[in-house]
Amino acid sequence: MAVQWSTEQFFAEYKDLQASAMGVDCVGQWALLAGRKALALVNLNNTDNVIKVARKSKWEISCVQWNPHASHAPIFVTASNQRLDVYTWRDGTAEHKCNLKAHSRTVSDVDWSPFDVNIVASCSVDTFSYLWDIREPKKPIASFQTVAGAYQVKWNKVTNNQFATTHEGDLRIWDPRKGNMPLTYIAAHLSKIHGLDWSPSSQDHLVTASQDCSVRIWNWKNHQRSEGMISLKDVPVWRARYTPFGEGLVTGVVPQLRRGENSLYLWSLENHNQPVHAFMGHKDVVLDFQWRKQSPDEVDYQLVTWSRDQSLRIWRIDSALQKLCGHHVAVADNDTSTQQTSLLTSRLPEDLSKSNTSLIEEQMATSFNTNMGTQQLQSLINEFSLINSNIPNVTIEGMDAVYRKCLVKAVSGKRSVILNLTFPAGYPNGEAPVFQFSETSLDPSMEKKILKVLKDTSLKHVQRNMVCLEPCLRNLISSLDSLTLEERRTPDSEVPFDLTSTTAVQAKSFNSKRFRTSYGNFQDSNIPFPRTSGASFCSAGYLVVYGRPADLKKSSADVTPKALSDMVVYNQVHRMKAPQPQTPYVAMFSCSPPPATQMMEYPCTISNFYTYKEKRQRTRSRSKHIKDVPDIPRRESNNVKSTKSKPKVGFVRVYDASNLLPIHRQLAEKYILDVNDVSNMCSANANAASAVGRKDLVQLWSLAAAMYVKTNDSHSREMFLESPWALCSLGRPLLESLLDHYCKIQDIQTVAMLCCMFWTRETIAKPKRSISKTSMDYSPANTDVGINYMYLGSSADSGWNILRKSPHTLFIFLS
Amino acid sequence: MVSVLNTIDTAHEDMVHDAQLDYYGTKLATCSSDRSIKVFDVRNGQQTLISDLTGHEGPVWQLAWAHPMFGSTLASCGYDRKVIIWKETNGTWAKLYEYSNHDSSVNSVAFAPHEFGLLLACGSSDGTISILSSTGDGTWDSKKINNAHSIGCNAVSWAPAVTPNALFDTGNRPPTVKRIVSGGCDNLVKIWREEDGQWIEEQKLEGHSDWVRDVAWAPSIGLPKSIIATCSQDCRVIIWTNDGTSNTWSSKVLQKFNDVVWHVSWSITGNILAVSGGDNKVSLWKESTEGQWVCISDVNKGQGQISEGQRTLQ
Repeated sequence: MAVQWSTEQFFAEYKDLQASAMGVDCVGQWALLAGRKALALVNLNNTDNVIKVARKSKWEISCVQWNPHASHAPIFVTASNQRLDVYTWRDGTAEHKCNLKAHSRTVSDVDWSPFDVNIVASCSVDTFSYLWDIREPKKPIASFQTVAGAYQVKWNKVTNNQFATTHEGDLRIWDPRKGNMPLTYIAAHLSKIHGLDWSPSSQDHLVTASQDCSVRIWNWKNHQRSEGMISLKDVPVWRARYTPFGEGLVTGVVPQLRRGENSLYLWSLENHNQPVHAFMGHKDVVLDFQWRKQSPDEVDYQLVTWSRDQSLRIWRIDSALQKLCGHHVAVADNDTSTQQTSLLTSRLPEDLSKSNTSLIEEQMATSFNTNMGTQQLQSLINEFSLINSNIPNVTIEGMDAVYRKCLVKAVSGKRSVILNLTFPAGYPNGEAPVFQFSETSLDPSMEKKILKVLKDTSLKHVQRNMVCLEPCLRNLISSLDSLTLEERRTPDSEVPFDLTSTTAVQAKSFNSKRFRTSYGNFQDSNIPFPRTSGASFCSAGYLVVYGRPADLKKSSADVTPKALSDMVVYNQVHRMKAPQPQTPYVAMFSCSPPPATQMMEYPCTISNFYTYKEKRQRTRSRSKHIKDVPDIPRRESNNVKSTKSKPKVGFVRVYDASNLLPIHRQLAEKYILDVNDVSNMCSANANAASAVGRKDLVQLWSLAAAMYVKTNDSHSREMFLESPWALCSLGRPLLESLLDHYCKIQDIQTVAMLCCMFWTRETIAKPKRSISKTSMDYSPANTDVGINYMYLGSSADSGWNILRKSPHTLFIFLS
Repeated sequence: MVSVLNTIDTAHEDMVHDAQLDYYGTKLATCSSDRSIKVFDVRNGQQTLISDLTGHEGPVWQLAWAHPMFGSTLASCGYDRKVIIWKETNGTWAKLYEYSNHDSSVNSVAFAPHEFGLLLACGSSDGTISILSSTGDGTWDSKKINNAHSIGCNAVSWAPAVTPNALFDTGNRPPTVKRIVSGGCDNLVKIWREEDGQWIEEQKLEGHSDWVRDVAWAPSIGLPKSIIATCSQDCRVIIWTNDGTSNTWSSKVLQKFNDVVWHVSWSITGNILAVSGGDNKVSLWKESTEGQWVCISDVNKGQGQISEGQRTLQ
């Protein structure tokens, strides 16, 4: 669905709170997490600062809301069972101000008036909606009754004296001045409406989220039909709220049985078919989400989410994301967007793509207004934002996705070039970027050489519709380096040795020490995720099985990654202490590798992928282990029992699967073929068969003995005197069907034995007896028959001749 | 029914990605993410490390033993885009040849049936398949099938050198044709045939809905049918059969598994298929006389036990 997704910027778990509702105050400093046992106030600028206010009630809190007026910011209202409580949050305590009692059943929603600091609206399943003035808490100042219970109440954010309530699938718009008579009534959905929100910019627009798995956008003045619908496929929608910027929506869902996709989606109102972004990470239903800004002049918004998984997460909505919803931020100077002013910084991992995103933000802010196909623009934006900016000695001076240009500086020794890349509209689908040096210290021949390398590299990728910027840059620097190296080899060169740059490169490429391999190449999205378990039949009848140790669990219960790049995604998620994303979207995307330092700290290896769950408990040993990896003495002796409590690598087991094969080595060794003493032969062979557990063959051999009885069949008498019964007109079908059967079950060993037993010796000279019990070969003297069992299957020459020859003779006979 | 003969602690430092016994079942080679390949002597239940082969600069994905008529020869491929052929001479293992003409990870190597000589097929994520052949005088030729699978090739397997129906057909048999089956990220299975030294696409088998992870052409004992097993990210295993008379392949889905299927392997007689995948489990499958594929046992690796399933041998 969404082509883009992100994981949270911040994550905190408050398991003990059991909070069922969350609210963020209007200045964005405090989040209130309210549960049955306590109200907890979390300082969003320093999330270690959690103040709990105990609460004694047998009722859950159904909803909370902070006063939206900055002047009265510390006031909040909670709804629990039939009553509302108003608190003032002051000096680390929540002071109970008053309670508002009038509802006769559970209060389902509350909403502060955006225009009057003292007015709160509440609604309940008792079919009443009340307006309260908190200065006069004794009774509501207005009441509105409907026939059905009310579930949501929301004030218009743009114009005063207007609010909306929902009743099952219906929507009512009220003007409190007009008494108990709604302005309008809209049959909005077929199922219950869970969520309601007014547009922050248009006085007539509102959005509803419903159990019927859809979100509808309404202009209530023209309510015959909704202005737009977003379908969430099979998932009931819990909330749909307008974004405070641009024209966007964020939706939260309640998957049935609480399983499945929990992600919030960001939608642009321009496109109802596909979300523009997904916020992935919560393990359970997101109960509530609200917006905040870290500081009023900050460009970025933050989305604060609280989920039933008892985790609070904060997601950054930078200007690039805001732009997706049609919000164009005024040119942001680099500082504001990259600065992390708050205490949060210390807890957050380095924002990897910080520099890149800010760069893109700027471009978008300055020059968005082209008529470029958005798809191509998007793919280029993606590529730019994912590029690894840590290619040694390469600096990306500028990237402009809109003008499809990129300016890169590469330095090697005393050589430096500035390369201009222009991406044609068809890129990366078959069209390669154009390369041009704008400033170089190279001779023309060298220039030509490098341009050719770049051209080849890019063509190779775009022919397969793959992006090529990063490989091109890597090749650019490596060809420059090789030129520099060549020069250094020539004695009269005056090039000073630039040790710093070369050692850096060498350290990277010649790191031949056995170190846990880190994956993280952007192109790894097409390399399949490696097998970590498997079974192969080998040699004759062996089954070799390898796998993960039993105690290594997959970190995600249901998804086995598809491509190696998923590991990178995993790695990033991992660093942010988030669970494995549970969606297949992961496979659609690959991320830029983390900076080298991060990689060292958290090498992204395949085993890490599996051991993750355990590591949380074993952090100490793990970090130690990784530090020591290059020096770990390898255990040469395999018999040494692993001293570590849990082996990282599973055992390889060799199984004897020869019993599963239709042919058997032991039979080949024990079988005898003696047509002069058929009864003895058959019983010996039957014994051999019973020894290996082939009951069918035991039966066959007793049958064979009977079939060998000589008859005087009238039809065959002329042709063959004294032929066995099996070869007469009566017996022949039986033999044929036996041969057929054993062919079908691929038991050519039995087929061969039957052929040898019943062939016509009359047509060929009588064979001499030559049976060697110890040998696996049986060779009638005048034929080249031999069963070389051991080499069966691989050696066609020796093993098969019996089958090629004997059936031939046999068939002559039978036909 | 199936019993453990040997349990080997490989002492690899990271995940094992492949383990193969040689032709005689006496040497075990394993490869791992720790960039090394280890060769063990596993005769009579022992496990002695013979050699620890280092040369790959990244994880090693797959191994293949050559037929013993070419000596003790092992091929390996890996993430570092290299294919390395190793050989034992007088008890010492050394690199015989290194091929590094792929542009991305090499995911699969397979030696051809020995009748064709020392011939190795390699499938790579750069979408190509290369066929390396030893000229016999120490040099190697390589041929490339370009753009065999767009996005990437994940697996290659050779057709047996035995012509279909060799067991009964005594007439003039056509010369054996070299064929390869391959699977890739385009969800396709393709059959390639060598003709006048060129590899041409003979068949394109569509059936999987996601990346094909492994392909295995069943060994032939001279019966008329040709059989190919393929497995995929879509959790399915498909058995493709060709009756030997026409050029069409019919497909049958073995089963939809609960997890991604990574590997399929045929027994030497081509009647039992071992299936393994992301769930760390192995199951063995066999075609009943009625033409149904039935699971005959599960190998539970965690316990090292094999439980007997429905037995269909008659």
